[in-house]
Order: sequence, then C-alpha cells, then structure tokens
Amino acid sequence: MAGLLEVRNLKTYFYTQDGVVKAVDDVSFNVSEGETIALVGESGCGKSVSALSVLRLIQEPPGKILAGEILFGGKDLLKLSRQEMQKVRGAEIAMIFQEPLTSLNPVLTIGRQLTETMELHLGMTEEQAKQEAIKLLESVGIPHAERRIRDYPHHFSGGMRQRVMIAMAISCAPKLIIADEPTTAVDVTVQAQLLELIRKFTAELNSSLIMITHNLGVVARYARRVYVMYAGKIVEHGTALDVFHHPAHPYTAGLLASVPRLDEPKKVRLASIAGQPPDLIAPPPGCAFTPRCIFAVPECSSGVYELVEISPGHFTTCWRAREGKIAWKTD
Amino acid sequence: MENGLILEVKNLTKYFPVTSGFIRQKKVAEVKAVDGVSFSIKKGETLGLVGESGCGKTTLGKCVLQLYRPTSGEVLYRGTDLCRLSEKELKPFRSKIQVIFQDPYDSLNPRFTASDIIGEPLRIHGMKQDKKYHEMIREMLDTVGLAPYMADRYPHEFSGGQRQRLGIARALVLRPDFIVCDEPISALDVSIQAQIINLLVDLQDKFGISYLFISHDLSVVRHISDRVAIMYLGKMMELADCDEFYQTPLHPYTQALLSAVPLPDPAIEAKRSMLILKGEVPSPLNPPRGCVFHPRCPRVFADCRHIMPVLAEYRPGHSVACLLYPSSYPPSNNNG
Repeated sequence: MAGLLEVRNLKTYFYTQDGVVKAVDDVSFNVSEGETIALVGESGCGKSVSALSVLRLIQEPPGKILAGEILFGGKDLLKLSRQEMQKVRGAEIAMIFQEPLTSLNPVLTIGRQLTETMELHLGMTEEQAKQEAIKLLESVGIPHAERRIRDYPHHFSGGMRQRVMIAMAISCAPKLIIADEPTTAVDVTVQAQLLELIRKFTAELNSSLIMITHNLGVVARYARRVYVMYAGKIVEHGTALDVFHHPAHPYTAGLLASVPRLDEPKKVRLASIAGQPPDLIAPPPGCAFTPRCIFAVPECSSGVYELVEISPGHFTTCWRAREGKIAWKTD
Repeated sequence: MENGLILEVKNLTKYFPVTSGFIRQKKVAEVKAVDGVSFSIKKGETLGLVGESGCGKTTLGKCVLQLYRPTSGEVLYRGTDLCRLSEKELKPFRSKIQVIFQDPYDSLNPRFTASDIIGEPLRIHGMKQDKKYHEMIREMLDTVGLAPYMADRYPHEFSGGQRQRLGIARALVLRPDFIVCDEPISALDVSIQAQIINLLVDLQDKFGISYLFISHDLSVVRHISDRVAIMYLGKMMELADCDEFYQTPLHPYTQALLSAVPLPDPAIEAKRSMLILKGEVPSPLNPPRGCVFHPRCPRVFADCRHIMPVLAEYRPGHSVACLLYPSSYPPSNNNG
C-alpha cells in the first residue's frame, strides 16, 4: 500500500490564560491508501486536535500549529495557502464529526449543504448537484430522498443526521475520511448501521479512513492499525492484533483490562487505572503516565520517551516494556 | 418485607400529554413513555435496565423515585405503595431511596462546597450542623475515596470521576437501601468508569444496597447486574438472570443488540457476524400496532402485526414478551 498521509512531529498548542496546553506534542502517524487506522485515547488526549490539525481547522488564537509536517499525497498541507487548503477540505479530505446537529448548518436545507460542496469542488451545475444529492441520500439509506433534501437538519433524527454527514463526506469521493467519534451520540443498533455504512463507502471509493474513538470494540472491528494517545503523545502503535493481544504500554494494557467484556467470564472486580489524566499545562515530567502506572520506577519520571520498535511494526514509548521488565495478563 | 423484596413495581405506566395551542392548551395525544412495566428487586440485588435512548428507562427510574408521579400502577417499597402517598408522607421514604445521576457536571450545585453537597440531604432531613454532622460528611468522603481536605472545594475543582464520587456520597449519606443509578458512568472516561463501577460494587457489599442500574452499555450492565431487563418503546421485552440473559437471549431485539456490541478483540471481530437491525426506533407518539418491535424485527410473522405480546415467564427466571414463545400470547387474543 502506498502512503497517503504522513504526519511528522506535529505540535499543536493552545495558549490559554492559565498557560500553554500542549494538546498535541510531537505526534507522528501515517495512513496508506485504502487503509483504516484508529486514534484511540480518552478525552483530552489530543486525538481530535490531531485530526483537526490535519485539516487545519485549529482556531487561531488560542490554538497554533507550531511545528511539524502534514504530507498528503506528497505535498505539505501546512505550507498551502488558505485557498489551496479550501480545495483540499471536503474534496480530498472529508470529515465526519461527532455531533451532527452542531456540525450541520441549521438554517440551510440538507440539500443545499450537500450541493454546496459538489458545486464548489466538482464544478457541477445546480441541477446536476441536486440529482447527485438525491442519489447520495438514497445510497446512505435515507428514505424519500427526493422530498427530504428540502428538509432542515432538525427534521432528522440523530442517526439520520449522521447519515447525512456521511453523504456529505463521500460526495466528492475524498481520498481520506476522518471520522471523529462518529457514533458516540447514537445508540448501539444505529452505531452498527452507521459504521457498516462508513466501511462500505471507504471500500467502494478505496478511501483511507482515520477513525477517532475511545471505543475499543469499534477499533477492534474496523481498524487495521492503531495509535494509542495519552496526554498529547502517541504512546504505542502497531497493528490492531499486536496492540490488543500484546499491548506494549501499561496505559494500553490498563485500558484493555478496565473494560468489561461480553466474551469473557464475568470478573469480580474490574482492573482500573488509578488517578486521572494529567493536566496538559503542566504534565508530569518524564513519561506522563508515570503517576498512574503500576509498573513505574523512579527513572520513569525523568528523561524523554520516544517511540521505539519492539517487534516489526509495533512501537512503544515504555522502556520497561521494551526490556521485558513488565508483564501483564493479556489473554 | 417477608418476601425479601425491597422494591416491587406492578403494571407501571407513565403517559405524557402532548399539547397543542399556545394559550388554551389542548391535549392532542399521549406519549406512552412507560407502558405496563412490572419487576421486583431483592435486598442487595442489582437489576440492570438496558435499552436505547427514548425507550423509557430513565422515565421508569424517575417513576420509581416518585420524581414523576406515574399515570397508573404501583411502586411498592417494602410493601408500601409510594404512588398513593402525598409529598409529605413520602419524605421519610426519600431518605431510603436515592439516586445517582448521569452527569456529575449538571447534578451538583456549583455554589455548594463538597461538604455542603454531601450534607444537604442531612440538613433537609432535619439534622443540625453539629460535630456529628461534620463527622458523617468526613466519613462519607472517605467511603467514596475522596480526601478530607477536599471538603471545602467546589464542584469545578473536581475531575469528572471525583464529581461522580461526590454524587455517590450525597446519595449514600442517608444510608439508603435502594439507589437508582441512571447512567452513572456514561459521561466518564474509560479508565475512570472502572473506578466508579468498582466503588458501586464495594458499597453494595458493605451496606447491602439494592441498585436499579440504568445504562445503555450492555457490557457494563453484565458486569454489575444480578438480573437484567431490556426495554423498547416503553415496554419491557425481556427479563432474566444475568448469565441467562447474555448466554441465551430469547427476544430478537436482545439478540440484535448483543450482536451489535463490538468486542475489543480484532481476531474475534474478524470472524464475527453481526445482526444489523433495519431502521430506527419509531416515534413513541405513534407506536406500531401489535408488538412495538415488529417493524424492525428480523423474525416478524403475521401475528406480530396485530397481537401485543405480554411479558411472561418462558423458563424459570426468564421472562420474554415475544410471540415466538407461546407464553407471550395474551390470555385472550382479541386485543389486536
């Protein structure tokens, strides 16, 4: 598979009254053509900010992309002008947001929101775009599409709105789709419908997909490779099989152990990760996970921790894991 | 309480009127948020209540708490029907039946300190702010895993998990024997969820509390519950012992819901097939005739369209409301 997106050493900080929030701090990841990857982590770990940085949708101020390269099809998106970036957004990279009610324009009809991007990026006439919009809505499973393109977002249910978002995302056959918690606001059965829809279209269009989620089950079902983020950094990445079956960072292992699983015998107690995620204005020195890590030794609180390969394609920042000093139950 | 039941709910309904008109409001329809639900909870037991948004599970919880007065039916707490009591008569019962809400951000008064929040139920129930009062608050902080120095902090100074601990302390301070937990962990991060679940389990062991645990997360419900009930459009579709519910679900809705939960294991997921339901939950304003689930049911047949199944025991300890099972046919078939 050829590389499509390569993010190198990205730093996105937010300058707030209380100090500098290092939301994304030296993050690198890549996606190949047609590949699905997942960025996993808890709220505030920087996964959404990473994705928004790729689209250069960081509000400035308070945010700023300080450093790094975002190579998309060979060109650095950070070097593009505003107009050039406009052409990339929607046409080549599309985004599906978490809450469709806040990310759809409430005063425009669904039809207009769909046709706008197609007229802009694909040079369609109004009538062509309208016909295409109807086709798109039908393909994402919205009944009576011909009538419904005249409706406004509030006329749709949460699941239907998310279908509209998916239709918008695929309207220009983008090479890359970024889905930011696309199913957090919907129910389990609707979640399954939407994720299958996203999977179907990415396969048809041979688009790459970056899935941002905290749901480990969703990751296991859809992603080929996984990046685990903690406190603004990637702490582990590898194939989904490696990361889920042989986690090489105590945070990953802790997350996996802390979710009750339907396919395992009932446990008496859940393994939990003590404490809470750190304050990103003043993260702990050394490895940021140290204060919560049951394997931590004093050395973990100093130094710089970079991703190192422990087996082909499997990287971790945890030096104790690399040296085989820690063992946790994975089966 | 000879039968060991803390709570018994019989044929509970809650209808909300839908009104039209601006000044003179006319009732034009009814939303049957909870429609004929019965169940019971034993001492020290956890009943998990699952269902998708809008299925009526939160309304049911609020009816049990008498925060909503049910339209009809009974809510028996140790044999006393709470629905028949006046607000004044309810007060002593309020100390025994408590609630933990979903959102620890919205359910704590931002102008109260932690000790004010925990102490409020004590003050409402007539306790003076003496040495014993402060001792009880300190003890409660300790019980839920918060440090004594946090007593004077305000809610915004706590993290999400700590705020939920505060909500639990407030629920616990009057030593209730029954707590309605309404999505208590949904707003929390994964690593924090496990902490709160463990705390709830510990408190149950320590104080013998019964829980009605309302959640849409089937994995969490399995972990914490002794028995599990599932709701759809205001009706209870299935009720069974926890292991039985997850191993041999009877209702097609339960089966679909369980198959839609992705498992955190890529090797299993690669081989697993999923039962995807068509469509979405219909509007409760105009629920389908017959079985409310029939328009989406993969195993629908003619009877489902006009006969409303009743929740009945199909196997000992396992009730279901689905016409695939003879037990669910109503005694006389002429209500369709």
